[in-house]
Amino acid sequence: MKKQFLMLMLGVMSLPVVAMAAGPDFNGAWARDAANSDPAPSAMWLTMNGGPGGPGGGGRGGGRGFGPAQVIMTVHQDAKSVHVELQGVTREYELDGKSHTKTTDTGIQKAEITANLQGDTLVIGTSQPYGGMPGNATLNIKEVWSLSADGNTLTITTTRDVPAKQETFKQVYTRTQAQPGTICSAGCIAPGR
Amino acid sequence: MAKNISRRKFFAGAAAASGLAAAAPVKLAAAATAAAAQTPAARKPAAAVGLPDVWGQDFLYQWSPPENVKRDLTPGSAQIRLSCSQDITNREGSDYAAMFKAMRDGGWTACEAASAGWLSRKMPDTEVKEIKAQLKAHDVVFYGIHCAGNIIAPDPGAEQWQRHIIDAVHSADDMGCQLVLTHSGSMYPDRNRPHPLNWSREAWSRSVNALKNICKSTAGSKVEIAIEPVNTEAINNPWAFLRLREDVGDSRLMCGLDITNMVFSSNAFRMTEMLNTTFDLLEDKISYVHAKDFVWDGMLPGLDWAMNGTGNMDYETFLVRISRIKDAKMYVEFLRSADEYQQAQRNIRAIAAKVGVKVYGTQAQSLA
Repeated sequence: MKKQFLMLMLGVMSLPVVAMAAGPDFNGAWARDAANSDPAPSAMWLTMNGGPGGPGGGGRGGGRGFGPAQVIMTVHQDAKSVHVELQGVTREYELDGKSHTKTTDTGIQKAEITANLQGDTLVIGTSQPYGGMPGNATLNIKEVWSLSADGNTLTITTTRDVPAKQETFKQVYTRTQAQPGTICSAGCIAPGR
Repeated sequence: MAKNISRRKFFAGAAAASGLAAAAPVKLAAAATAAAAQTPAARKPAAAVGLPDVWGQDFLYQWSPPENVKRDLTPGSAQIRLSCSQDITNREGSDYAAMFKAMRDGGWTACEAASAGWLSRKMPDTEVKEIKAQLKAHDVVFYGIHCAGNIIAPDPGAEQWQRHIIDAVHSADDMGCQLVLTHSGSMYPDRNRPHPLNWSREAWSRSVNALKNICKSTAGSKVEIAIEPVNTEAINNPWAFLRLREDVGDSRLMCGLDITNMVFSSNAFRMTEMLNTTFDLLEDKISYVHAKDFVWDGMLPGLDWAMNGTGNMDYETFLVRISRIKDAKMYVEFLRSADEYQQAQRNIRAIAAKVGVKVYGTQAQSLA
């Protein structure tokens, strides 16, 4: 009887753990694994020079003296939301599956964003004018986040869909010990909260 | 809309955008040169150039859009015909039936020819008839001959280019085309290279005289001579085009409108206003329109071409305004492959459908 009680208590105590384990846990700092990631298409694709981050792009203008920066993404997740910081850009996603209207990066147009946990994945949907400028074609973005079995590899599969073209690409991140606010060896500054 | 800005402010912005921001005397010199280009008699004070101030007018360039830009997205009744730079050609042995069928299958219902190739070969009358018959059979409009010429080039280039334009007008007449497209050009032999004196009295006079010569030599023709305003040339804004038309004094002088060719730092993020201002000024003087898009993605005021509908261009306003002009035709150019042209067309058709603008013909699903 005593043994059964202890087992029951252990079971009750482990309930929160089970509840958290019911969905994926993306918390932590993540370093982009460039070797296993697809080249990210430029948000302004088809610019003649490839655009920032696009084929042949990057490195135009700007400061000097930094080598290729290690990309660190930090994620803070709780039951209701996911907070993402990547290269100085902050995103906040409410995990209720409802559409939320947010301002695009240009500050001029609006985006409709939904996010929710679906099984072992986080699915984020965004619908916005392509570059956030008036009169753009509508861009629909779907991100699917998933973790490896050991929880140390994060894969984000992104589909960008405009009337002109659909693009799908994969970004792979590995868990890192780099803390927010620390300076990375490759010359980057991991974003802090 | 544009009456609250002085000519000096406009040219100050233009000078800054050209990398001359730190050179205040240059701004004044530009304004002075522009003023000197006016003939003294019967000229109203030129106060209507450039977009209006937004805020902070005495310490900031007016490069950000106002907070509440009005966008009237009421479409017009015109159905826009699309063309692209995969032109009609008259190379010997061309299969015109196949050529126009391919255009239609690709959703392109209008076309233009590049002048150098087109004029390099004298076609027999039977071939001209065949072209016209196949155009009609496939419901494709051959509206113009595109002359990337330089009618103010150093002599003897200017005269040769003017002769070329005149020949193109005659050829356009033969083919039943609406227009010949050309430029005012540059004081350098290379039209695409901006000469420091392209905005001088001399360049202006050469432009006006060249066009007077072309109009005089083609008098009686109904072919429109469409001038494309371009940043690097004297005619680089809608006000300059209007003044050119006035000084040349011929109603056949029209605008081959390429809004993106008039973009610089001052208006790169104010395209809704730039579009509305330009169409308000030129609406009944626009022969046809070029369709491009751009982004500003560098430290210098350097712009790069972007896929139509993904950059700074307000394509909803653009398409709506085009749909309000007669016989609307839109020429998609500067892309890199047939596939990219199809992508551009999909974006254009999708945005048009969103705002209720009709685009003539259909884009085959197999190509879409």
